Amino acid sequence: MRRRSFFQAAGATVAASTLLLAGCGDDTTVEPALPPTTLSLGKGEIGVANYAYLLEQLEAAFYQKVLDSPPSDFLAGELASFTELRDHEVIHREFFKQLLGTSAIPTLEFNFSSITFTTRAGVLAAARTFEDLGVAAYNGAGKLLSTKATLVLVGKIASVEARHAAFIRDLLQADPFADAVETTGAFAGLGRTLTPAQVIEAAAKFFPYTILVSDLPTA
Amino acid sequence: MNILKLLADLAAVDPDSYERISGRRGVLASLGQTGRRAVAAAVPLAFGAVLQKAYGRQSATVLDTFTLALTLEYLESEFYKQALASSMTFPGNTRSVIQLIAKHEQEHVSFLQATLTASGAVIPAKPKFDFTGSKNGTAPALYPAVFQDFGTFLKVAQLLEDTGVRAYKGQVDVLITENDLLEAALRIHAVEARHAAHIRGMRRALKANVRYWISAKDEVITTPNVTDAVYAGENIDKQLLPDLVTFFPTPTTQILTGTKEQVAISLGEAFDEPMTAAAASSIASLFIYA
Repeated sequence: MRRRSFFQAAGATVAASTLLLAGCGDDTTVEPALPPTTLSLGKGEIGVANYAYLLEQLEAAFYQKVLDSPPSDFLAGELASFTELRDHEVIHREFFKQLLGTSAIPTLEFNFSSITFTTRAGVLAAARTFEDLGVAAYNGAGKLLSTKATLVLVGKIASVEARHAAFIRDLLQADPFADAVETTGAFAGLGRTLTPAQVIEAAAKFFPYTILVSDLPTA
Repeated sequence: MNILKLLADLAAVDPDSYERISGRRGVLASLGQTGRRAVAAAVPLAFGAVLQKAYGRQSATVLDTFTLALTLEYLESEFYKQALASSMTFPGNTRSVIQLIAKHEQEHVSFLQATLTASGAVIPAKPKFDFTGSKNGTAPALYPAVFQDFGTFLKVAQLLEDTGVRAYKGQVDVLITENDLLEAALRIHAVEARHAAHIRGMRRALKANVRYWISAKDEVITTPNVTDAVYAGENIDKQLLPDLVTFFPTPTTQILTGTKEQVAISLGEAFDEPMTAAAASSIASLFIYA
């Protein structure tokens, strides 16, 4: 896709449940309008950028929720560090929002009910999940891009996410690389990589919609 | 007619049409996920085939990228190997973390060597390194205590790791049409970023004023006209968008609350900047004497 058409192409859509469409036929019963239940990220580079935008929205919303009501057992300096993490993720989120313009997916409200925000351990465990997932997602997303400038910009964000992930693991006093770096085989020493479908599945419980990645490039 | 040249020219104009014609997705993609796992052992061979194709088609740029990467991995691998073999004291659990990092760097060397070998390229010989920066005693040492003083060791480690992250990032656009090679490079890039961050964490534990990410607030550990290229241009506070006209953020956008200065610092932290191959080679050469 050419650079100029990137921003002009039709973007992502929030669709009503496909059940509605399936119900259309001889039956003339009109269903009441339902709230949207699926969200398509769109095609081509727009789809990939929306995928990154979705993940950055998720991370920014998570850190904001931590800051809104920090766990009482946060150690000295950790609130300041989480403020920095929140700021980075808000910057990433706003970056993709501007990049996508009118093709951007809407702002989502996430379901964080599975996270224990009242304890440091609960917050750090969730932060580790989000950051490691983000790093693996960017590792797998680069090859889906076809515009050099976009690839370089995404690379600039990817390594910052890896730094965040390392920071959270140190706060947890966790193994610095377990489950993040391949330990055996031909890819030993390379970071974990995940496809959009794998990432969306792993994070599905946080999303208010079923996220459709079927239109994203696969290579 | 040179069909390879034609395809390369076409790719420069329209990557999509190039893809349709050439089926460039590579050896591995055609195997599918199951096939990929089954042939894991043969992967370097398959990667080499991809690299060989790329080399034949696009002059030496992809090969140059892998050669640069191997030089940097030789550098890092040898650096940690010598540190671990020295009599330097590693406080706390740091030796075990450095051992893991050293293992990764050796694995990166092996991966890149296997890829280059399978492509039919000659593997560049490992240079001779002097991590004091004295060029084997022929010049004043930059870091005389690099393997005696843990703090000095960590400073050099941070410079090397942050350089590695920037160098890989500077090469991703060269690999954009070679999906398998690009993904491998990004996966190594992310591991180098984790290394850099953990090294920075070890420096924090020694009370250094440094963060896990590159910040304008970090204490300066570079030497003007010697190592300052490591962070040159790293803390820019706006990003040129792919339209090559507009910047993020726009001059009127208020992304964060806080002072203008603090917002600019956060914007610099949130993006790691790439480095040219020339800059990376120049930094590496400080520690190479033959």
